Amino acid sequence: MFYRLSGVHHANYVSDSRIFKVPADRNLAVFIFLIGLAAPFIIPSLYLNSYMLPWLIWTAAALGLNLVTGWAGQLHLGYAAVMAVGAYSAIHAARFGVPWEFALIIGGLTSSVIGSLFAFAALRVKGLYLALTTLAMQFVMDWVLTHSPAISGGSHASLQSPTLAFLGQDITSDTGFYYVAFGWCVLVTIFMLNLKRTGLGRALVAVREKDFAAAILGVNSFYYKILAFATSSFIAGVSGALLVATFFFLAAPEQFSVTVSIQVLAMVIVGGLGSVIGSYFGVALILLVPGLVNGLVVTVSEGLGMQINVETLAHIPNAVYGALIVIILLIEPLGLGKLYGNIRDYLMVWPFDQFKK
Amino acid sequence: MQEKVEAEHILSMNSVEVLYDNVMLAIKGVSVKVPKGEMIALLGSNGAGKSTTLKAISGLLKAERGRISRGEVTFQGTDITEVLAQNRVGMGICHVIEGRRVFEHLTPDENLTAAAPRGMSRSALNAENEKIYDYFPRLAERRNSQAGYLSGGEQQMLAIGRALVTQPKLLMLDEPSLGLAPFLVEEIFGILQKINQEEGVSVLLVEQNALAALEIVSQGYLIENGRVVMHGTAEALKSNSDIQEFYLGGGEETDFHNVKHYSRRKRWLS
Amino acid sequence: MDWVFLSELAINGALTGLLYSLFAIGLVLIYKASSVPNLAQGGLTMVGAYVVLALSHDAGLPLWLAIPLAAVIMFGLGFGIERVALRRLAGRPVVMILMLTLGLDIFLRGITLAIWGGTSRSVDLGVSYEPLFLGDIFVSRIHLVGAGVALALFVAFMLFFRTRTGIKLRAIADDYMASWSVGISVERGVGLSWALASVVAVAAGVIWGEIQGVDQALSLLLLKGLTVAVLGGLDSILGAVIAGIILGVVENVGADFLDPLVGGGSRELIVAAVLILTVMIRPHGLFGRHDIERV
Repeated sequence: MFYRLSGVHHANYVSDSRIFKVPADRNLAVFIFLIGLAAPFIIPSLYLNSYMLPWLIWTAAALGLNLVTGWAGQLHLGYAAVMAVGAYSAIHAARFGVPWEFALIIGGLTSSVIGSLFAFAALRVKGLYLALTTLAMQFVMDWVLTHSPAISGGSHASLQSPTLAFLGQDITSDTGFYYVAFGWCVLVTIFMLNLKRTGLGRALVAVREKDFAAAILGVNSFYYKILAFATSSFIAGVSGALLVATFFFLAAPEQFSVTVSIQVLAMVIVGGLGSVIGSYFGVALILLVPGLVNGLVVTVSEGLGMQINVETLAHIPNAVYGALIVIILLIEPLGLGKLYGNIRDYLMVWPFDQFKK
Repeated sequence: MQEKVEAEHILSMNSVEVLYDNVMLAIKGVSVKVPKGEMIALLGSNGAGKSTTLKAISGLLKAERGRISRGEVTFQGTDITEVLAQNRVGMGICHVIEGRRVFEHLTPDENLTAAAPRGMSRSALNAENEKIYDYFPRLAERRNSQAGYLSGGEQQMLAIGRALVTQPKLLMLDEPSLGLAPFLVEEIFGILQKINQEEGVSVLLVEQNALAALEIVSQGYLIENGRVVMHGTAEALKSNSDIQEFYLGGGEETDFHNVKHYSRRKRWLS
Repeated sequence: MDWVFLSELAINGALTGLLYSLFAIGLVLIYKASSVPNLAQGGLTMVGAYVVLALSHDAGLPLWLAIPLAAVIMFGLGFGIERVALRRLAGRPVVMILMLTLGLDIFLRGITLAIWGGTSRSVDLGVSYEPLFLGDIFVSRIHLVGAGVALALFVAFMLFFRTRTGIKLRAIADDYMASWSVGISVERGVGLSWALASVVAVAAGVIWGEIQGVDQALSLLLLKGLTVAVLGGLDSILGAVIAGIILGVVENVGADFLDPLVGGGSRELIVAAVLILTVMIRPHGLFGRHDIERV
């Protein structure tokens, strides 16, 4: 009724390989894109800068992890370390005088190289053991970062990011930062949406489902695993660099610690493995909801005249964050993306849902 | 009169439908009755719904996100449609699942212990174990080695033995002959028959190997596409020309150019 | 080379290592009984220590009563976790279960700190801080006590896994479906393993809480515990004990050599390296079961 469709049915391959299988989805995407473009003129700059911008960059990063975990099925608990590599190398390059366009690419490529090291673990083990290995690698990276002043920037272990500039144009305004983040996120999204239509995407899915079965079909799982890690690491590296350049302005090792790795994985899984729209939802939920809940607790407790001590207040967002992960997994293990799909499918045939399937 | 008939059947399934994931209708109204103390076979091709039928009886459907959406299963006169799988085992239904799934990292002895019902005394368990090793002397030799390293036949024997420890009144076996050499199938089926006679356990056997199965059972059901399409005594089934052609192989001088599978199958299903 | 000093390092390392084992036994229990990697053990340990503190310091119970009572409460909590969370995800891909336990860990840590606050507190077990001299070697008493607890739990669980209930738990880890088919209550078994792991968490929480104070940092034991569990073979309690000793010695002695070279803080690095090397070279650890694959 709302979609003027009776479900998704394909009559030919062209329709099956469309990016948006439901026309309304495409319209929605275009609509959201336009809102995104207009956002600096609609949304107050405080919100733009403290909510929209990190949301977009983290979404780009989460999509990168989704590529390796959702599409290629490789667990990765060291993603923040890869982001750190990109961030630090890009900023060092920029400080060295390399233009930012190239600095970002350098960051991405360095990440790719280091991130591919994680792939060598993936060639040997999978599942739980891969998760543990990548976790250990994250600790090694953390250690290297904190223990080498040459990288992390001296005794204070913080590295000032030089002014962002593209095409010789300095970017210093909030709006400018926002558009950089928006552009990167759109780029990654388009890449990911197209991924499932390409041979690469299909090969990755084959590797995920059963790597040796894929090998029998002539899919070189060795090659595709490394490719998946390298591509995702590139996205991670650029996202990490942009995060520092437009949001933190100062690179510090804690920004890329193991808790951050877990956080990105949580975003991907809560959003839904292999779901692009889900990653947007997942990032929004993990990034924004704990803060909102905190605000709510403060308001409610003030309303009721209760005294909540500062420490309690400081830890409630964490508890909420953990609970969110658990609750979403219990409601729908395939995440918010799947929930969205369910609702859409329901509305598509409403009110004649007895004819479904 | 009706009640008397019911009492003779240890198990009766009445037009049971099973849905997987709320979507897939795996069996579409199957009725099967197992008379007390007899051996019954369910025959049919792959995907016909034989295993699903067994899981509906044992309650293991739940583990695969399936459920009985219509009909009921009655065991010894009580409706068990809603009873949990582990409680059905306590009532006396044991299901030897497909593919010899023994506990690989446990020894045969431990496999048997794991299946012991709550409250079974140590001496009773030991006696039970010895009885099982008497039925399967091959197992006794390897009772302390890891079950995962037993041969296929030994694993199947262990799976049956493990089921016997639960003190079943109805033993259900899902393709015990899968992947076993003919002489082993014969041996296992012989032991099954012995167990059936000596212990008075009713047996419901799912088999692809119809020829071997019909040798030991008294009645058989033929399931196709989630429905019972034929039911009769073993003799009647063995002499049925369709069964001979489709399941027993051969018949006289099969000329493959003239075999009309499709038209003949169609007749059953309509 | 000073041999007395080296052996002191090794012995203290081994004792610390046994304390890692104490933590790792909780991981191993759950893995052994349900093949679920429990990344929430750090959070559980924290909760265990805080519950003991709440009972002894806040409610004023004596420690000999507070600790068993905390164990009972945690036993219930373990069952509760299975009932609420794990049951619904049984049989799902490992990535989701990992994430679930990670989420649980974050939640447990957050809620504990929200209730009791993050200031480091001490358990006051009453073990003297006087150093104990074994010949020329000096060891800490609390480490000795902890090592004793770890060994006692090890023996208890070794015996437990030979009982009928223990065998049933191992059967569950092997094959959920086959367990259901012979009437084993998989849910109750997995619940029991979480309950036992939660009790172990109380023990680990009390000992570690005494050593380094009861605070947020207790949950950081997870990496070391995981390393010990993996090195020992994830489903082997004996493995966890031996791997704990090995890791403790390697860490203590290695750090003594490496710290001057890299400017301190090499313990984390050694632990992570041991984890990576174990997984790369021998994923099933020292004593873990090989997954038997037959064609």
